Amino acid sequence: MASVSKLMESRRLLMIILLGALAWSLASVEWKDGVLHTRGISALGEISGAIFKLDLSGETLGKLLIAAWRTVAYAVAGLSLALVIGLPLGIVGSGVLNSSANKRRTVQTLVRFILGFLRSIHELVWAWLFVAAIGLSPLAAVLALAIPYGGILGRIYSELFQDVPEAPLRALRNAGASEWRVFWYGRLPAVLPELIGYTFYRFECGIRSATVLSFVGLGGLGYQIGISLDDLAYGRAWTFILGLVGLIVLVEAWSATVRRKIIL
Amino acid sequence: MECYCTAKDHPVKILVRARLAVRSMLPLLGVVQASFALGTLLLLASWLFIFEWDRQQRVPFLSAESATRAWGFVKDLAGVGKVTSPAYADSSEWWRGAHLAYDTLAMSVLAIMLSGTAALATFLLGARNVMLGDLAPNAGLASHSVFLVVRITWAFVRSVPELVWALIIVFIFTPGMLPGALALAIHNYGVLGKLTSEVVEGMDVKPIRALQAAGAGRATMLLYGVLPQALPRFLTYLLYRWEVVIRTTIVVGFVAAGGLGMEFRLSMSNFHYTSVTLLLGWYLLLVLGVDVISSQLRRLTR
Repeated sequence: MASVSKLMESRRLLMIILLGALAWSLASVEWKDGVLHTRGISALGEISGAIFKLDLSGETLGKLLIAAWRTVAYAVAGLSLALVIGLPLGIVGSGVLNSSANKRRTVQTLVRFILGFLRSIHELVWAWLFVAAIGLSPLAAVLALAIPYGGILGRIYSELFQDVPEAPLRALRNAGASEWRVFWYGRLPAVLPELIGYTFYRFECGIRSATVLSFVGLGGLGYQIGISLDDLAYGRAWTFILGLVGLIVLVEAWSATVRRKIIL
Repeated sequence: MECYCTAKDHPVKILVRARLAVRSMLPLLGVVQASFALGTLLLLASWLFIFEWDRQQRVPFLSAESATRAWGFVKDLAGVGKVTSPAYADSSEWWRGAHLAYDTLAMSVLAIMLSGTAALATFLLGARNVMLGDLAPNAGLASHSVFLVVRITWAFVRSVPELVWALIIVFIFTPGMLPGALALAIHNYGVLGKLTSEVVEGMDVKPIRALQAAGAGRATMLLYGVLPQALPRFLTYLLYRWEVVIRTTIVVGFVAAGGLGMEFRLSMSNFHYTSVTLLLGWYLLLVLGVDVISSQLRRLTR
């Protein structure tokens, strides 16, 4: 019995489950027909060698600049719309405005379900559906980004609003403040730095997502990378990839600086 | 603050010092105010640009024509007004979907386990305190360069989205589960590595100090001091990332030819919109199922 209880010790059990999962997934790959292309290794050489033969012609750099701007514009517009979706849902879904426990639980369950649905479908799938529904409009990309991001922001915001320490809120309530006032003067100021910090972090992710979105034909960095690889122009593809990396590093540095300033 | 400027000046140390100098100048600029102004400017410019671009399209987004088209598409997804019976009414189609969902699940597990293994093997090399800071008694040029190389690799692999990695990898591997899983694994390796090394950097050093005081060597200290503290958080991150990975597996499948993603792409291109509905149904079930399993497994990390 002792060995069984040791096995059931939770962390050990988790390790066994994870190792089993790894073995199962490795076994479900079809290894026997070979997994490499016949020219796979030489393709690997050509692609990685092309990083030293970047396409730095004026035409490509011009395209890079336009594609980068489009990517940023998608991310910014998409995130701002996500904020419009996520903030109200986050406030309502946290249930902090309801004083009766019953009502609070109903609202929480309902909104959590909506938020869960919003973020369960990947932005590229949304983009594809929107493009199929209304054609190639940049607003399709903005909406596709805003829906899952609205769901994520809503969930995180509602958790933030719930986790505010009770003592200062009770002081407000004792002074006769309504739940709405308690939210406005107690909860919101308490979480604002973290809220802004997290939104900024999501902006970082938004740039990557906007890149991926543009694959459906909406002309951002991802689209350009896709076309270059289709043309087997590896050097040009690397130019766009490194442009993307540069853009993301820049945004990461910006967001890290702002977060350090407002959270500490 | 740690001081990196003891003996001779390595080029790496000069770089580090330059960064510190830049950081100390930042308050003069009023970063938060400047960021707020820049953010507002970006917001206005982006929306202006997008509406202007949309206006130039053949069918603008906000028009009666696009509303009709969108409604038509919704009817296509539901299979209303078609002669053929919708795919989601056919039980054999559901079974085919189940098979694809199983493949997709295996692909996501393979991806997260590969990235987890790689991250577990290297996260210490990217933790500042282990490599350069107070847990590194005699950090030389070698550990400085290893640290920088690991950090730059993580930043690079996570900056490139999974889909782009998949586009590159299909040149090398034959289409199927493996290239998709590898693409997902490469990106998530960078994410997990960064997150886990940050756990190490923020951890309580007192138990580790106690080990050192008892005469433990560096390996013993890392194995018995650092690893037990980092492991639970690492597993939590691993499971959280799995929830992200399952959502992205379908997208990688578009190009890497595995699971639901490939079939979704084919159905879209062939205008089999009722199969699209069925595949989306399986996708939602899969995402929901993984969220539930992951939150159950996360309990075990405590």
